[in-house]
Amino acid sequence: MKTIKEINEKIKKGDAVVITAEEMIKIVEEEGAKKAADYVDVVTTGTFGAMCSSGVFINFGHSDPPIKMLKIYLNNVEAYGGLAAVDAYIGAAQPNEDPDVDIDYGGAHVIEDLVRGKEIELYAEGYTTDCYPRKDVNVKITLDDVNQAIMVNPRNCYQTYPAATNGREEKIYTYMGVLLPEYNNVHYSGAGQLNPLQNDYNPIINNYNTIGIGTKIFLGGGEGYIIGEGTQHNPPFGTLMVKGDLKKMNSKFIRAATMPRYGSTLYVGLGVPIPVLNEKIAERCAIKDEDIEVPIYDYGVPRRDKPMIAKTNYAVLRSGKISLEVEIDGKIVEKTVKTGSVSSYKMAREVAEELKKWILEGKFLLSERVGTLGKPENKPMKSPITLVKDILSKPPITAPCNISIMEAAKILIEYNINHLPIVDDLGRLVGIITSWDIAKALAQNKKTIEEIMTKNVITAHEDEPADHVARKMSINNISGVPVVDDHKRVVGVVTSEDISRLFGGKK
Amino acid sequence: MRKKVYYWTDSEHINKPVISDTILNTGVKINILKAKVEPQEAFLILELFGDEETIKKALDYLSKFGEVEEITKVIKRDMEKCVHCGCCITQCPINVIYMDDDYNVIFKEEECVGCKNCLKACPFKAIEIFE
Repeated sequence: MKTIKEINEKIKKGDAVVITAEEMIKIVEEEGAKKAADYVDVVTTGTFGAMCSSGVFINFGHSDPPIKMLKIYLNNVEAYGGLAAVDAYIGAAQPNEDPDVDIDYGGAHVIEDLVRGKEIELYAEGYTTDCYPRKDVNVKITLDDVNQAIMVNPRNCYQTYPAATNGREEKIYTYMGVLLPEYNNVHYSGAGQLNPLQNDYNPIINNYNTIGIGTKIFLGGGEGYIIGEGTQHNPPFGTLMVKGDLKKMNSKFIRAATMPRYGSTLYVGLGVPIPVLNEKIAERCAIKDEDIEVPIYDYGVPRRDKPMIAKTNYAVLRSGKISLEVEIDGKIVEKTVKTGSVSSYKMAREVAEELKKWILEGKFLLSERVGTLGKPENKPMKSPITLVKDILSKPPITAPCNISIMEAAKILIEYNINHLPIVDDLGRLVGIITSWDIAKALAQNKKTIEEIMTKNVITAHEDEPADHVARKMSINNISGVPVVDDHKRVVGVVTSEDISRLFGGKK
Repeated sequence: MRKKVYYWTDSEHINKPVISDTILNTGVKINILKAKVEPQEAFLILELFGDEETIKKALDYLSKFGEVEEITKVIKRDMEKCVHCGCCITQCPINVIYMDDDYNVIFKEEECVGCKNCLKACPFKAIEIFE
C-alpha cells in the first residue's frame, strides 16, 4: 500500500518507477500483480481520437468603445455568445457559415489554428446598451491576444466505443468514417488497453479506482484536469469532462479533422496517470486489448438502437480483419472483412510516453481526487417518432407489367396520383411509373410500360422513420417512394405531399 | 514482371475491342484497374503481366490505338498531417494500405493505382493523388 503523497515525494526525488499501461501488461504477466504493485508507482495511459464534444471558452478582452458581443464568428465559424459581453464558446463540431467551406473548416480547425499561433478573424455583432454602445467589431486576433482560452470538453475519453459496420447496399458516411456496403468493412475507435478509464475501472463497484474530480491529466500536450463525469457517462462506457489551458497546448496533440460528409471534429490527446496504490489497481492496469469486449453495430440502420452484428474485442479489431456472420438478401453468409481504426493507437502511445517522461523528469505531480465521478446516466430522449406506416396512404394502387401506357395514364388520373408502382404476379415491385414517364412516352413515342418505367426503384420500409425517407427523396431528387415489405411486395407509396403534410398540417 | 500504365484510347477506336486484341495478339495478361469512357476518348488504368518482351509488344500494340503513359508514383502522403488513424485502410480496393506492428499506417506507394478512395476518406486531408 502506498499513498499519492508518497509517490509524489518519489517523483520529486527522481526515484519514482513510471511505466505505460502497455508495459504494465508484461510486468504483471511475468511478476504478478502483487510484486508489480510493490515497485511500480505510476502507470501512464493515453488515448487519441475524434472527440466532437470538445470546445474552448474564450475571453477576448473589451474593445473601446465596448461591445456586448452576441453573434460571434471566428474565421467565419460561429461561436456561442449567449454569455457575458466578451466571452464565447467555440465548439469543435460547428461548421463554417460559408456553405462552400462548410465542414471543411469548422470549430475544430479554428481551435487548431489558435494553438498553432495563427491569426484568426473575429467578427462580432451585438445590440447596444448604455454601457455597451458599440454595434460590431472586426479584428484579427491570435491566441496571445485573448485573455483566457480554456478548453472545456463535456465528453472525452470514451472508455470503449462500439465498432461500426454497414448492412446497406450503398456506402455511408458516418462519424465512424466511410462504411462500405454489405458489411464490407468494420471501423472501430478507442485506445483499448491504453485507455485511461479502462485501466482504472473497477467492475465490482462499477466505478473507478483513482480517477475522479480533480485528477490532473495530460490534455492536448499541456496539463489539464478532470472536472467530472462526462455527458452520457455510463460505465463500462464511462466518459470524462475535462479542462485545460489552450495556451499551453501543442498542435501535435490537438488536431482538427473532417469526417467526410459528416462534420468537423477535434482529435484530442488525453492521458491520465494512475497511481499504483495497491495490488488491485496494479492488476487492472494490466488489462489487455483481448479482454475488452467491443460490440459491432450496423450503422446502416439510421435509428438510435442499431442491431448488433457481433461482439468482438480490440485485439481482433487491431489484427486488420474480422469474420462476420451476416444476413445478405435473406441468406446468412460468413464473410471476412477488413477492419480499420478511426482513432490513432500510435498517437495514444505517444501520449502515454510523453506523460511518463514528464513524471520521470519531475515536472508533473499526481493530484488526489476530491470526489468520485458522478452517477451513470445515458437514457434516450423522449422524442416522438413518425414511422412510414404512420403516414402511409392505404391500400396501395399498383399495376401489372402488361398494362398499356394509356391504361396507366388513366389510373393516375382516376386516383389522382402521381406514382404508380408496377408489380409482378406476386405483387412484388418491378418498377415505377410517374406522370413524367407518361409524358416521356408521348414525346419519345414509346409503346410499352417496360420501356418507360424506372426499374432501379428507391424504396422505403414500413418501420423506417419518415425523416429517413424524406432524406432519401431529397438526396435522390424524387417525389415519391413505394413502400415494400420484407418480400418486396408493395404495401403503399410515400409521396412528398405525405412528407410536407407532416410539417404543414395535421397527420 | 508487371507494369502499370495509363491508356487513352483515341476516339475513333473507342468502339473496338482494343484490350482483347492486345491480349490475343501478344499473349500479355491485362488487369483493368479503371475504365472511363467519354465521347472524345476512353481512359483506362491497366496493369500488364508478362515477360519484358511481351509487355513491350503489348505496349507497342496499344500505342497504335491511343496513348500510353507509364505510371510511376501516383500518391503522396503529407506526414505532417497524417496521425496514423487508419480511416483509409479499409477503403483501398487493392490492399496496399495497412497498419504495421508499431501501428504506423503504411502505404505501398509503388503499387497504388490512384483510385482516390483513401483520399476521400481521410479526415486530415493528408493524401494527394497526381493526375
